[in-house]
Amino acid sequence: MRLRPVALVLIFIAAAVLTAAALGSVPIPLREVLGILANRIFGLEGTIAGEWSRAREAIVLEVRLPRVLLALVVGGGLSVSGVLFQGSLRNPLADPYIIGVSSGASLGAAAGLLFFIPQGITGFGALPIFAFAGAVFATWIVSRLGRQRGRLEPTTLILAGVAVSAVLTAMVSLLMVLRIQNLQDVYLWLMGSLSGRGWKHLAVAAPYVFLGVLAALWLAKDLNVYLLGEEAAHSLGIDVQRLQRWVLIIGSLVAAACVSVSGVIGFVGLMVPHALRLILGAEHRRLILHSLWVGAVFLLVADTLARTILSPTELPVGIITAFVGGPFFIYLMKRGSGYHG
Amino acid sequence: MVDRMRVEAVTYAYEAKPVLEDLTLTLRPSLFYGVVGPNGAGKSTLLKLLDGYLSPQAGAVFLDDLPLSSYSLADLAKEIAMVPQHSHYFPFTVEEMVLLGRTPFYSRLGKPGDKDMKIAREAMETAGVTHLSGRLVSDLSGGERQRVTLARAFAQRTKVLLLDEPTTHLDLEHQINTCRLLKAKSEEGATCVAVLHDLNLVAGFCDYVFVLDSGGLVKEGVPAEVFTPELIHKVFRVSVPRLNHPVTGRPVIAP
Repeated sequence: MRLRPVALVLIFIAAAVLTAAALGSVPIPLREVLGILANRIFGLEGTIAGEWSRAREAIVLEVRLPRVLLALVVGGGLSVSGVLFQGSLRNPLADPYIIGVSSGASLGAAAGLLFFIPQGITGFGALPIFAFAGAVFATWIVSRLGRQRGRLEPTTLILAGVAVSAVLTAMVSLLMVLRIQNLQDVYLWLMGSLSGRGWKHLAVAAPYVFLGVLAALWLAKDLNVYLLGEEAAHSLGIDVQRLQRWVLIIGSLVAAACVSVSGVIGFVGLMVPHALRLILGAEHRRLILHSLWVGAVFLLVADTLARTILSPTELPVGIITAFVGGPFFIYLMKRGSGYHG
Repeated sequence: MVDRMRVEAVTYAYEAKPVLEDLTLTLRPSLFYGVVGPNGAGKSTLLKLLDGYLSPQAGAVFLDDLPLSSYSLADLAKEIAMVPQHSHYFPFTVEEMVLLGRTPFYSRLGKPGDKDMKIAREAMETAGVTHLSGRLVSDLSGGERQRVTLARAFAQRTKVLLLDEPTTHLDLEHQINTCRLLKAKSEEGATCVAVLHDLNLVAGFCDYVFVLDSGGLVKEGVPAEVFTPELIHKVFRVSVPRLNHPVTGRPVIAP
């Protein structure tokens, strides 16, 4: 990325953030949003003309801003994680959930909500911890099962992911049948939503996504070579087993951090990297950087739609991503170009 | 002349049954070697042992008198290039794909420099894919992809070139061109080792042949000595007359 495109992207993101913070069940004019932010960030108390109530200030600073930023972080994180999984499994249909992150997180969250957190989603402190633990546990099991003669093997790994996910999903359903209090919370969580999330959640997810993106860029060159196949990658100096292990660890941690705060938001991590690969080609450094911002903005737009189109009712954002993502994906698929084993 | 590579008493088994047993051979600079033998004779395994992708259970493989295990993967990549039997083709442009052959030579966060670009362009020129440089590899035909893979290996500028059935998906013209290229590379000093199924290509182009059958080296030598009707019958279980090429005098196997 040259400097000018970077600046353009940053301006675009800033505009998207401001617009999203202005929209909602209580519309707040853009200049008021700007004023509130400027006051908080630069300490310009009173220098910017305009009067706003404490309530509006709280809406912008405590409700909308963290949620908007979280949408960016989760969207970007899921997309970069998707790049990592598609690259390391050499499978364009892989997504961050393919080796059990989502089902593991779901089981963790469901168990947490049904047994340990009687106050439900609103008593939110511990929920990401349960979900995160579940996600890490599931991917650990799958990566143990996905070996053949001590080597990680993509096809085996994917099959193990499918099998383990099936069992874990069944356990979630079983839990839901057996314990019906908090059922709606569990259901909402399973569909994926950013509703009610605040700075606390941003603090959980952002460090993982930030470090994960850096690590992904560090491995980008190796991932390019790895696309040629294991033997070719080996002959170009890549320790294939070590690369796969690291990519799985990084991709899973990023996805687990995202899922633990947002629930299972589908389609972003599959669609964004795939679509960008069709447009930009397979070079990973480019793919990672562009997936980061496109995924971030995509989820921000989707989440803003989710909380405004039926306002004051909120839709789970997963519904929007699937509605938008599915047809767009089909369009790209029909347009052709892309993969041949 | 000094040996470039040595395989000493190497045994390799995938499960209990050895694919190669107690194999010893040497490879010298400036020669084009052909490896032939029926399916399952261990030809691909030999190549994978030569580039260190597989480690032998017994014995050792040496490059310039040092065991492969004493090299780092990154250093090995500067000495030995491999064209595997199966490659994956993702939407890289031809130029990007050939430049991947330069990855052992620049840093993790760096980009290919002018020298790398120059070498990659030369490699594309040699392999005859310059006119494809902006196309996506995933859109090319099988033969074109094979030549791009060849260019990628050339771009590594290694002393040793290993090729597992490089001519299998090519038409006659490109089969012959590929062999000519490898012959030319060997004349420039490289050690080229190719697994080939077409005995006539081996007879026509290779300086030296290894014949493998059920895990062992059955015979080695120059094609004219190796390709006797008796040996071909013994190894491939077919009876064929052997003629001699009217111009070159090299053996021709006519089924």
